[in-house]
Amino acid sequence: MTLTGEQVEVPADPHALYERSLTEQWGDGAPVLPPTDAAIELLLAGTAEPADHVVGVLPPQYGVATVELVAANAAMAGVEPEAFPLVLAALEALCVPEWNAFGLTTTTSSVFPMLIANGPSRDALGIDFRAGCMGGAGGRGSMTIGRAVSLCLRNIGGQRAGETSRTVFGQPARFGMCFGEWEERSPWPSLAQRRGYPADVDVVTVHGGKGTFPLADIHNDDPRDLLYLLAKSLAYPLANMFLGNAENGEVVLAVNPMWAERFGAAFPDLADLQAFLHEHAWQPLDLWPEPNRNIFRAKGRVGAHDRVYLTGRPDQIVPVVCGGLGSLHAIALPSFGESQMQSSVARRTG
Amino acid sequence: METVLIRRPTAPPVIEAAAPTFRVDTPLTSLRAGIRTDAAWRSWRLIASDWEQRLWDAGVAGVTTVETHAQVGDTGAKDRSHIGELAANVDFAIVGLGTCGSCTSFAIADAVAIEQRERPVIAVVTEEFATHGRNMAKHLGHADLSVLVLPYPLEARPDAELLEISAEYYPRALELLGVDA
Repeated sequence: MTLTGEQVEVPADPHALYERSLTEQWGDGAPVLPPTDAAIELLLAGTAEPADHVVGVLPPQYGVATVELVAANAAMAGVEPEAFPLVLAALEALCVPEWNAFGLTTTTSSVFPMLIANGPSRDALGIDFRAGCMGGAGGRGSMTIGRAVSLCLRNIGGQRAGETSRTVFGQPARFGMCFGEWEERSPWPSLAQRRGYPADVDVVTVHGGKGTFPLADIHNDDPRDLLYLLAKSLAYPLANMFLGNAENGEVVLAVNPMWAERFGAAFPDLADLQAFLHEHAWQPLDLWPEPNRNIFRAKGRVGAHDRVYLTGRPDQIVPVVCGGLGSLHAIALPSFGESQMQSSVARRTG
Repeated sequence: METVLIRRPTAPPVIEAAAPTFRVDTPLTSLRAGIRTDAAWRSWRLIASDWEQRLWDAGVAGVTTVETHAQVGDTGAKDRSHIGELAANVDFAIVGLGTCGSCTSFAIADAVAIEQRERPVIAVVTEEFATHGRNMAKHLGHADLSVLVLPYPLEARPDAELLEISAEYYPRALELLGVDA
């Protein structure tokens, strides 16, 4: 296997390497592992793609992401060879034009690719989907796959806050965010299955998420009452999806397994649950001041009874079952709006 | 100190590529003007409408305005299609407004699309997003794209103030387009 990337001599001492990575702006502020040929070749052995295969061209600086260059970044993040195809899949997905990497890597928004993993390898790879899956559980797969994608956007795409990226605040997920769906506790087909993939393959879905928006309830026994409140909470007045068109973007609703069981009993067909959420995810036009009302009217977003709906369609509200068994909480991952969720299969050797 | 060899994890530096730019090089009389606005920015819609009136007053044969609404999806595709039609049917174009990250990226991309049709064009951005706009033009292979920089912020200014800015920067817009006085 012949690697073609430029070779650089760096200190073997981990602390000195860390300092060098900061000076060279190779990293994200945290320590990195050395992308030696041995480490890169180990990762390349985990994929059927040749080293010179172009996964995509990453904005904002349009760096060419070859499999070898992606492997160098994945090696820095500590990705295992078995997990490397998920990194490639995530990058492939976010390079689909409708995901709008061109806009999302340069926006003032905090938005960043949030990776949702489905398939049989979640546990083996250490992709968190139980307690603490949105951060803190510390699974190797979650931490390294998400970080590798983030490093690729920085090192290959050239995305840097305050420079090429105009993000005003950023968000913790910009270090990398990858979690799984607890498929075994879901009363519905998995996200990947709903998007047309079989259950026995590993799939990464990339969502342009603005952050993790916490929701909680301890008072409601009727699942419809609880879903009504969740829908109202998703439709917060300053959501990005109220800024533009209703047709683009999805809001992910991460539902804990205990609530999912209750919701599944009331709505065995997920499409019915999505329709219920959509039906209630609106706010009255007079909630907003006149300038907003004028925009809603101009965009044709005011429905019957002067309601402004968060989304144009029920399927833009995307429930995903994950999290701990402590119940009581949900997490919304609000959309940037001008981005459409994309999925890709992790292709392995053989 | 013990060392180890690694592979550089960054992409090669961006090669600055400049595409041909075009100038009007005549007076405005009888020319067809194009203006790209953005539904998101009230300030720019006001300035653009003021510039449109000034263009009419200067004797242009027509002004085509395209208001963009989206970056992706069906609406985004229609917007890009309308930009293509505008480029085909005007003699020069003014494209704005870059006053957020992604809207600057798309304003520059639309201006580049018009320049690729060999039309004189300027992209209008605000000061905070000027460097970003120029970087995007460079990354899209049009490093020499003409960029007009307006004060920042424009939003939240009263109309009277926006119209003062409009009057002040209109001559500079014509100058960048290469309009003969």
